[in-house]
Amino acid sequence: MTPDYAGLFSALRPEISLVLGALLVLGLDLTLYRRHSPGGRLQLALWVGSLALLTAGFQVWRAEPGTVFGGVLIIDQLAMASRLGVLGLTLLTFGITQGSPARRQPAEYVAIMLLAASGLLLMAAAQQLLLAFLALELASLSLYVLAGFDRTRPESAEAGLKYFLFGGMAAAFLLFGFSLVYGATGSVELTEIARQIAAQGSNPLLVVGLVMVLVAFGFKVAAAPFHLWAPDVYQGAPAPSAALIASASKLAGFTLFTRLLWPAFGAAAGSATWLNSGAGWFRAVAALAAVSLVLGNVAALAQTSLRRLLAYSAIAHAGALLLGVLAVGSAGPGPLFYYALTYGLATVGAFGVIAVMETAGRCERITDLAGLHRRSPLLAGCLAIFILSLAGIPPLAGFFGKLTVFSAALHAGGIRSPAGGLAVLAIALSAVALYYYLMVLKQALVAGPADGAPPIKVPRAATLALVTAAALIVWFGMNPSALLGLF
Amino acid sequence: MIDAAHLWLIPALPLLAAGIGALTPRSGRRLASGAAIAAMAGAFLLSCLALQRALADPAAHLYANFTWFELGDGAVRLGWLLDPLNAFMCVMVTFVSLLIFIFSLGYMKEDANFKQFFCFLSLFAAAMLGVIVANSLLLLFISWELVGVASYLLIGFWFHKPAAAAAAKKAFLTTRIGDLGFLLGLVWLYDATGSLLLFDGGHGVLESGVLGDLATQVLASGLAVPTAISLLIFCGAAGKSGQFPLHVWLPDAMEGPTPVSALIHAATMVAAGVFLVARVFPLFAADQVLAAGPLHALTVVAAIGAITALLGAVIAVAQDDLKRVLAFSTVSQLGYMMLALGVGSWVGAIFHLLTHAFFKALLFLGAGSVIHAAHHEQDIRRLGGLSRSMRTTFVTFAVGMMALAGVPFVFSGFWSKEAILHAASEWDVSHLPFYATLIGVVLTAFYMTRLLCEVFRGAPRSPAAAHAHESPRVMTIPLAVLAIGAVALGFLGTPVWPWLQSRLTGTPIPARPLLEGGGLMGLSIVLVALGLGAGWALYGRRVRLTATAPDPLAAAAPRTWAFLGDRMKFDSLYAATLVRLNAFVAALADFLDRRVWGSAVGFLARFAEFTGVVNSEFDDGALNGGFNAASEDIRRTGRAYSRAQTGETHGYLRTLAIAFVALALLVLLGGVR
Repeated sequence: MTPDYAGLFSALRPEISLVLGALLVLGLDLTLYRRHSPGGRLQLALWVGSLALLTAGFQVWRAEPGTVFGGVLIIDQLAMASRLGVLGLTLLTFGITQGSPARRQPAEYVAIMLLAASGLLLMAAAQQLLLAFLALELASLSLYVLAGFDRTRPESAEAGLKYFLFGGMAAAFLLFGFSLVYGATGSVELTEIARQIAAQGSNPLLVVGLVMVLVAFGFKVAAAPFHLWAPDVYQGAPAPSAALIASASKLAGFTLFTRLLWPAFGAAAGSATWLNSGAGWFRAVAALAAVSLVLGNVAALAQTSLRRLLAYSAIAHAGALLLGVLAVGSAGPGPLFYYALTYGLATVGAFGVIAVMETAGRCERITDLAGLHRRSPLLAGCLAIFILSLAGIPPLAGFFGKLTVFSAALHAGGIRSPAGGLAVLAIALSAVALYYYLMVLKQALVAGPADGAPPIKVPRAATLALVTAAALIVWFGMNPSALLGLF
Repeated sequence: MIDAAHLWLIPALPLLAAGIGALTPRSGRRLASGAAIAAMAGAFLLSCLALQRALADPAAHLYANFTWFELGDGAVRLGWLLDPLNAFMCVMVTFVSLLIFIFSLGYMKEDANFKQFFCFLSLFAAAMLGVIVANSLLLLFISWELVGVASYLLIGFWFHKPAAAAAAKKAFLTTRIGDLGFLLGLVWLYDATGSLLLFDGGHGVLESGVLGDLATQVLASGLAVPTAISLLIFCGAAGKSGQFPLHVWLPDAMEGPTPVSALIHAATMVAAGVFLVARVFPLFAADQVLAAGPLHALTVVAAIGAITALLGAVIAVAQDDLKRVLAFSTVSQLGYMMLALGVGSWVGAIFHLLTHAFFKALLFLGAGSVIHAAHHEQDIRRLGGLSRSMRTTFVTFAVGMMALAGVPFVFSGFWSKEAILHAASEWDVSHLPFYATLIGVVLTAFYMTRLLCEVFRGAPRSPAAAHAHESPRVMTIPLAVLAIGAVALGFLGTPVWPWLQSRLTGTPIPARPLLEGGGLMGLSIVLVALGLGAGWALYGRRVRLTATAPDPLAAAAPRTWAFLGDRMKFDSLYAATLVRLNAFVAALADFLDRRVWGSAVGFLARFAEFTGVVNSEFDDGALNGGFNAASEDIRRTGRAYSRAQTGETHGYLRTLAIAFVALALLVLLGGVR
């Protein structure tokens, strides 16, 4: 087979634009804009970066479906949709970067975000173990740096270091797992692996490899018990970094691992019933989902820090998303993608509100939100939409995400199957979740402002990003077929 | 050219105005009212264009459906519908709303919540137009409930008055009882047909194929499925349209501002029930093919309509409040419309609905003008003599009164009522409704004469009435326009030139000579004359002299008068039975909630709180707390950073390793079994 480099180049145009954009950002910053104020440099970097994102988005939009370079990459509906989702979420993150506290080296920050986005794009389309690993590492390394970027705050350094140590360990598991899979099947191509597994059945070597892959998966999406990094990172990282980690990275992670689990290891899923369940990853993912749902929702109740609360809520949502992964086999990736994207929108929005509030003062504890409706009605209104969507209140998108994922899980095996039982558990825990979400809103919408708390001025780009995110949540909630109809 | 796909613009415009009204600060009176009136004018123009489009092909049902969302295999689809029935309703609602909005500029001028009022009015108009243009019963139901909410907000607009707050609650709850039936009907209909779209290329619930299938289904009790569904849907219609026995809320709703009474509780919302039945008339008529059925839905509709028509008219005779007389007359007229639907003449019902909207809005706005001038005095015994001081109001009110009483040939009410009488006389099931309508004709003429004489003749009987003077132009001009409509509209549907009827049905209806069936027309003219004469004899010839003098009828039959004045004790009856039962059930539920469920939930909550604390202690204390404490030390002493860090990260990574082993065991043990 002759390598088709031209095809590879044309398929990688979005990533290439992102990397070029990153280089351009750095180049301009080091030459023409060297003497400008940090604010002006950030402005320029964000403009160039946004342009790169839009170019990449256009190229993703124009890309032709099919496999690339002998099946290394696959451009299908899921890849296309999650690549656009990643780019859109990154763009929103840029908007809130404008609103977050100023930092040294703004251009590097934007450039690394672009690099992270290119890694995430590759993750969304990878169809080969080696490329998947490389893409994951490219994205992860960028995210480690982003988490520890704010060198003026020890918390940020702590977050970066913890994320890195934990992520490095997870990467080691992933690579070991991939090598075991390669050993068991003799291939790194997902299609070939699928064929081998179907032919030879499962064996302990493969299963151990699979579980190792699951460990890395659990780390990437912050599923319990691999969630330990999440509260510290969400709390310590700069708000835009946390937003990117919580939204775009999660979306790409779910796309990648869904592709690994269903098309490749689908034959090793095991049965979807309680009894007679053969060896397979199905019950492992179900266990991760159950632990995440319970731990995330329950631990969130006791939080007083807003960011830690969002972290535990992220763990709980990861549980629900894992439920969506279980349902992919019967319902396709539609519900999972809808949930992941709309969850990402709400999370980016919530971190955007935090970023703007941190610029204006403090946003550490939930009580710091008190009187937000007086200080900035816009922020309070947007936050209400984001939080209510996270809580799953109709007609916002969060409600439909829950509805489609849970109904898909119930359809997958009926109410007496593990997936059905998990859906019931998740529905019950949604009621618990409502409590802590409403505690946040109570502070923001009902409580009066602290004495002398000034009104908050929201920068224009941040306003645009927050309003866009809120509008999209309402729009996708009112018109879910806009996303669900893609698949 | 407007098409069905553009029809959403008609409700969207007032909805936008409501949004603007909601967002403007309280001082933005001009912006809120201007937006509301401009949006209504725009909606009126669009409605006229829509009517033009619909009349180009009156037999067609133009519709545009779209998928709202998909769930599993099924999709929830909504749509917009354009046919002459919708289009006429749209034009009527937007036109009457526009005039009432303008009237409100004057009437509500001094209210502190002026902009709120226009916001609510626009919301109402948007919801009402949504009911009209919906091609899906689901969308119709959503709008229907929004109409209920807007009505609640507007009845209770002066919420600081306890009576208004109570009336709003009563209206909402009473109509909700009907809506429950409506919702059940919709669910059943969806279950039976798999669709809630009215028209959908042969699969809609109003199309012959689906209705034919539906008509073949019969329940074990012998009741046909379409009959049962229709009766459930009729519950909703009866609630909104104030039909017996759910009519009790409508007179109380008069606690709202008078423009609200005119728009919502006379012209438009209360007519929504009639519109609903007319809209789904093929469904109601589907069981007619089953000759052997124990009950036809339309028979029930006719019976309820007849009872309501008679009941409302009888009670209206003995009311002393200006607006309550009009309210009970509305109840009675809605009964006429339901009766017309029941006897199969939905065209007659819609004709009467349109004319009634004009003259009843006129009467209410006239009453509003009187109330505004007389400093919110609305007891007719304390008014009087206003014909001199309020010329325009008097003349236009008299036009409305004669239209409602059915004074022959000139006024629109005569022609539409004639159509209903004609249809009722030809109904072959029973003649009782026909007799009820005849009695109603006499009573209507009688109580309206009484009202006119008491309010406008004689001498003022209170200082407020003595000082009354004509309302400003912004209020009298809408009155004049409505008065013209109250006369002219009748000529669209006379037997000689049945334009409206043929356009509504989409089939040409032959003109009848005026004097064919002249016996019936003559009879009704005699009855109207009888009512007018009796009213004049009792109240016109000998005018009331003081506010406390007893009514001539009250002197003759005091107990009957008191019984009627107390609205036949319906409210007391409901209070003694249903409300008490409800209170008992509520107390029981409260007990269960507090004692049984409350303690269970409380226990669970405590438990969850406990685990939450334990969990967080574990995370924060054991893992993180140690780290943080160590970090604090480091910051102080600048030493031993790496040792503490690696120690803690070991803890993290140990968890990771343990979890891996646990997962692997879980998967592998599953394989062994």
